[in-house]
Amino acid sequence: MRKVRIDLSGFFTNRGLQPPGTTGDYGFNIWSNTFPAEELPPAGTVADVAGVPFSFPPDAATGDNIRCRGQVIPLPEGDWDWIYLIGAAERRTEDRVELRYRDGSVRPAWLRMSDFWPETPMRFGEPLAFRTRSMRYPRHTHRNHAPALWQQRIGVAQPEDLAAVRLPDNPAMHVFALTLVADEEARCAR
Amino acid sequence: MRVEPAPAPFWRHDLTHCLHTTAGALLAARGLDPLETLGAGWGFRFVPGEVRREEYYFPGHDEDLFAGLAPYHPVSSRWHRPGDAEQGWQQVRDALVNGVSVAVAADNFHLPFRPAYRDVHTNHLMAIEGFDDETGEVFVNDPVPPSFRGTIPLTALMAARDSGNPIAHDRDLFFTANPIGNRWLEVTIGADVPEVDEAFVARVVGSNAAGWLDGTTGPVLTGLAGLRHFLDAAVEGFAEHPESVDEVFVVGGPMLAVAGLHADFLDRAGVRFGDVRLRELGRAVDRVAHHWSALRIAAATAREDRVAAVPGLRQRTAALLGDQEAVLERMSLVAA
Repeated sequence: MRKVRIDLSGFFTNRGLQPPGTTGDYGFNIWSNTFPAEELPPAGTVADVAGVPFSFPPDAATGDNIRCRGQVIPLPEGDWDWIYLIGAAERRTEDRVELRYRDGSVRPAWLRMSDFWPETPMRFGEPLAFRTRSMRYPRHTHRNHAPALWQQRIGVAQPEDLAAVRLPDNPAMHVFALTLVADEEARCAR
Repeated sequence: MRVEPAPAPFWRHDLTHCLHTTAGALLAARGLDPLETLGAGWGFRFVPGEVRREEYYFPGHDEDLFAGLAPYHPVSSRWHRPGDAEQGWQQVRDALVNGVSVAVAADNFHLPFRPAYRDVHTNHLMAIEGFDDETGEVFVNDPVPPSFRGTIPLTALMAARDSGNPIAHDRDLFFTANPIGNRWLEVTIGADVPEVDEAFVARVVGSNAAGWLDGTTGPVLTGLAGLRHFLDAAVEGFAEHPESVDEVFVVGGPMLAVAGLHADFLDRAGVRFGDVRLRELGRAVDRVAHHWSALRIAAATAREDRVAAVPGLRQRTAALLGDQEAVLERMSLVAA
């Protein structure tokens, strides 16, 4: 099984991971809540979630997650069976992504994303990626108020020559990390 | 004197906010199932110009909120508007003494268990279940995360209810600048609570479908035609009218909640009656709810550049209406 972590830093548009004592242009959701960065993997490290490694976002002024607005993420050459994500939504939601191939063809697939809000269960069968113990507000950190990030996966029915994925134009969805997985063994078993 | 809350399940649906959670608390305390009661109705009714800066706004049912929330149950509500804080507490206390929990409007700024405490003002709704004169405390039931069921000082409750709800920061842009005014809701539940059996569910699906299909585009917007009119007008006027941001977001909240509740109402009925068509219909309704999640945030994040947001909003509303129409076809088949 091959796993390739994709660098999303050029696509980040939103700052949702906030170190303690900081102010500025942070705000994961429309109410400017954020995840406490000190309760999550260190910025820029590799984090394993349910057996899949992800590049945890760096601490950068340009952002640490993609608010989905139809961005097209180029993918390296390879036959990829799964697109794994770390993400969370502002209220659960679902939408189509476009799988774009090197011959120009396009296939739709579904991305379903559960809510980040504390005390809100997963809806779409996603493994919990991270849950912090507290949540930041613009002027304080609220203890025992625990938001979540989830692990999504998108099945690639036709793995050969996948070139890019177009995220939905759904700004309620946020993507922090993306890893491609090629599972040749399972594919051969079909 | 001390009035203690009756034991009742703590209920919240993930797509709802304080209006439905408070309603669920009050209904559960009176023996009604919140999902069956609040999830049966699904429709659209909007009075243009009526949008209120309240988390508990419910389109088209300003005065009798609960009749709008539970159209198939003998449930109604009436706002009381006391003259001042003292009268406001006495009225609520009298209801509690008579064994009836009530809903009160409150500014989170004054509520010690809310994250907005001493930070931002906002217009919230929660259930009051009891009080203790000796300790000067009231029993609160508020399932909105961070959920809280416990006591707070009566002085805090009175301050929250008497608040002018001013704009203090730029964070809560949707539900401020609307004085709380000590308002509270009296909820009445009639005797003829329907049993949720297969006949009831069939009647609900048929009636909801008829409501969507028999829509109007003025003066009150109802049904699919009314929803289409509302969304088209919102999108076409979005670039020109700054208030469109608030209108789409505030109306979208209860539309999201009602769709999510109805989806789970159908799914539960499908499980109970072994009817996969109801479960399939529920999943299709959930799809509409998920459009509302997207639409609300698309509108709310467009405040700085409304012109750029219009194409995306147009696509989203078209997709929402398309899936709504597809659901109506399924509803008609199930009802038949």
